[in-house]
Amino acid sequence: MDKDLTPEQSLKVIESMIGQAKKSFSRMSFYFLLWGVLLIVAMAATYLLRNGSEAFSQGASWGIAGLIGGILSSIHGAREGRRQPVNNPMDRVIGWIWGAFVITMMIVIAASVSNHQDPGGMITLLTGFATFLTGQIMRFKPLIIGGVLFWIAGLAMHFTNDPLTLTALYCGSMFFGYIIPGLMLKNQEDGLRTA
Amino acid sequence: MAFAPLDPVLHNQLRLAVVSLLVGVEEADFTFILEKTGATRGNLSVQLSKLKEVGYIKVKKTFKENYPNTSCALTPQGITAFEQYVAAIKEYLG
Repeated sequence: MDKDLTPEQSLKVIESMIGQAKKSFSRMSFYFLLWGVLLIVAMAATYLLRNGSEAFSQGASWGIAGLIGGILSSIHGAREGRRQPVNNPMDRVIGWIWGAFVITMMIVIAASVSNHQDPGGMITLLTGFATFLTGQIMRFKPLIIGGVLFWIAGLAMHFTNDPLTLTALYCGSMFFGYIIPGLMLKNQEDGLRTA
Repeated sequence: MAFAPLDPVLHNQLRLAVVSLLVGVEEADFTFILEKTGATRGNLSVQLSKLKEVGYIKVKKTFKENYPNTSCALTPQGITAFEQYVAAIKEYLG
């Protein structure tokens, strides 16, 4: 790979390398899988324990899931950040999107709780927004589809108060919006690492 | 019509590949560039030195997880040279 080039060859090299750079995102599957599992468990616990425990009926499982997820994500993020062989500016954009998502989600939760409303539907819509954008930036179709599924589930959640339907909608959207794309992303990342 | 001369530093497959790769990222480790370009370690080292000599890239030597690590990033001069090279190539291709 050490020779002079024709203009056509130059253009091919440029396109190919820019294409490689665009695909060089840090490993993100961990976050989708971690949060997917944690939030499904939190939702299932809220549903199953809604009549038995006051703490769980008031959302203790979400607090526990948030704490565990936050700690594990921070540890993993710090470790991966040190190992990462490339700094892609798009990684930072994705980080901003999820940072903005967390801030907006906190505000939505605070506003909903103070108005005695369930924030689930609104949070699911917001999750769709962040997941869809992440998928578009990464050009990863399963996340784009996942984002759309979150939107559909979030919309449907506004039209029902039945706890079982709400749980099914939330867990289903998490499974198809986080877990399945997360597993597919992990396969792709493992493939790139061993290529 | 006279064509603009192509920058001889960039008009080399490996050096152009390195600069094109670095345009899309902020900073990349030596091993990452090695993997993406498919070059040999020796050749890549030589070409990185040439790019550094002309001021197109900056090379940072640090330690990552207790191992020596070399990372590279484009300088503003490198970005300008790349943009001019792309403009010249476009002219050649009509």
